[in-house]
Amino acid sequence: MTNVIEIDSLHYRPGKGFALRDLSIHVPAGAIYGFLGPNGSGKTTTIRLVLGLLRPQSGRITVLGDRMPDDAPKILARVGYVPEQPHLDPTLTVNEIVRFQAAFYPTWDGARAAQLLRQFDLDGERLFGRLSKGQKAKVMILLALAQQGDLLVLDEPTDGLDPVVRRDILAALLEYVSQRGAAVFISSHLVHEIERICDWIAVMDDGRLVTEVPMEQLKNGTKRLRVAGAPATLGPTPFALFAREPATAAAETWVVGEWKPEMAGYFPGIGASLQDVIDLDLEDGFVELLRSFRGSRREGSA
Amino acid sequence: MFRVMLYTQWKWSRLIILLGTVAAFALPIISMQGAAHADRNPLEAQDLLRTVQSWGTLYPVLAAALGLFVAMAAWAPDHRGRHVHALTLPLPRWRYMLLRCASGAVLLAIPAAAVLAGALLATATATLPPGLQSYPFALATHFVLATAVAYGVFFAVSAATARTAGIILAAVGALIAVQVVAGVANVDFDIVSPLTMIVLGPAGPFAIFTGRWMLVDV
Amino acid sequence: MFEHIDPRSSTPLYAQIAARFRVAIAAGELRTAALLPSVRDLAARLRVNPATIAQAYRELEGEGFVEIRHGAGTYVRELAPGRRTRERARQAKALAERVLADARRMGVTLEELREAIDGVLGAKTT
Repeated sequence: MTNVIEIDSLHYRPGKGFALRDLSIHVPAGAIYGFLGPNGSGKTTTIRLVLGLLRPQSGRITVLGDRMPDDAPKILARVGYVPEQPHLDPTLTVNEIVRFQAAFYPTWDGARAAQLLRQFDLDGERLFGRLSKGQKAKVMILLALAQQGDLLVLDEPTDGLDPVVRRDILAALLEYVSQRGAAVFISSHLVHEIERICDWIAVMDDGRLVTEVPMEQLKNGTKRLRVAGAPATLGPTPFALFAREPATAAAETWVVGEWKPEMAGYFPGIGASLQDVIDLDLEDGFVELLRSFRGSRREGSA
Repeated sequence: MFRVMLYTQWKWSRLIILLGTVAAFALPIISMQGAAHADRNPLEAQDLLRTVQSWGTLYPVLAAALGLFVAMAAWAPDHRGRHVHALTLPLPRWRYMLLRCASGAVLLAIPAAAVLAGALLATATATLPPGLQSYPFALATHFVLATAVAYGVFFAVSAATARTAGIILAAVGALIAVQVVAGVANVDFDIVSPLTMIVLGPAGPFAIFTGRWMLVDV
Repeated sequence: MFEHIDPRSSTPLYAQIAARFRVAIAAGELRTAALLPSVRDLAARLRVNPATIAQAYRELEGEGFVEIRHGAGTYVRELAPGRRTRERARQAKALAERVLADARRMGVTLEELREAIDGVLGAKTT
């Protein structure tokens, strides 16, 4: 299976301070790939590099089989983009914007655009500048979907929108994906939304990739364990030990990753007992992952 | 693609185009006012020439204004959106710029045609004193060229990124600085005057704005 | 039918969705030859990845509850007699296991649990 987006050893440094370091990302065809990370971690910069808006200092970016930014126009014909901030002319009406966009894409589906206008309950004659935030987001998603691209790149598409609008947008997005089998690259803060729709998840922090795994692996692999009687120093563990804190007088709480049920057999081996295995949802797992990643980086540089 | 570009360009610049067209049509007619009499003596011919010449100074102003505003209108929405929309369209940057430039140029043809129409009408309804001839086509051509130069220059400036504009300004500033230092050091080094001559002088690109804008002349 | 899909639960989403369908089929809500919603519609309605729906349908097909006819949709199969009863018994057992596990965690004894059940049942009939 080929990857729709492949980033290899990317370095990008716009100036002093912030830099994307040694970034490698692989988005499989047909996947819904979620991109999580705190503010300032480099999510939007990565998206701009994928779209050819920025040029990296070193490393390769391959989108839909072609190189970015060299083949940008060819690639962009097949990529639908929904930015974080509305980037369209506020003095044009919705219909005028749709007609403008349609002229640039040979694959444009006018019927789908008309159907989405109805589905989103948008008035074609209203000026874009006069639409509410949610309506503007709907227009931008409409443009990306009517374009019939093979890849959708969405930068926080539902951020700051009310739940009803979010539902409408996600429903339209998922309908499109199931119909066309397009891949989706979506960066978002809304962890519970990412949890529902993504089958791959990548986490970024401070310009680096923390992890890139299938969603099930991150969700099911991250657990909180109640452990009693464990020695102070441990040898290698079969799971990834993120954190270890005292909980009660007798027991500790361990936060682990890459957990499998068979690993329960590890504890008698070190003279400890595993009292409980508690599931962590993606949000908690994400927080723990970041904590341990930052901790290990600090230790590494010490 | 060109059609939608033209449509949006029209939507942004229609006011300036309409006003410019009215002005462009009226200017030749007004400049020829009171020239309907055949029995002019040589003194009145002089008066006519003076009137035509003084009104004539408005042509370069109108050409420059049209070029400026249409160029600005072409780029204002892009600048507002930080060019994100344009840069994510599936065509190379130079092609996009060409489409924009061409759509503005097409619209600027309208006031240019109005100058010609006004000039033809003005000279058709006037009876010129002997010794004077009318040059409506020359005037219209002069106007088209001036508008084109103004539009080209302002388009390039508007389309440039802040960095390019900065480079241009820095180069100009450096030249002036060099000139000043040379003057202080009493070195016989004059670069500004020759450059000014080249740019604004008779052979330069901006020469088109100088000179006489005469609908009628000897 | 799908109000309680919980992405945060440890049970994968596809398993939760498949379970709902199993309950509906066992209860007779979805009869033989009934057409299940298309992957596309259900994914949009529930706002989950279409692959999740597809996986749920495949699991149901593997267990013999539905038949996926490519291009035509997913249909409830004719179940062998007693299959529905067996499925309901299985679901009842799972329900009981969950209740007992919760009771244990909360420190509620079996006696207390039985009393509570009787109380609820009694209150319903009065």
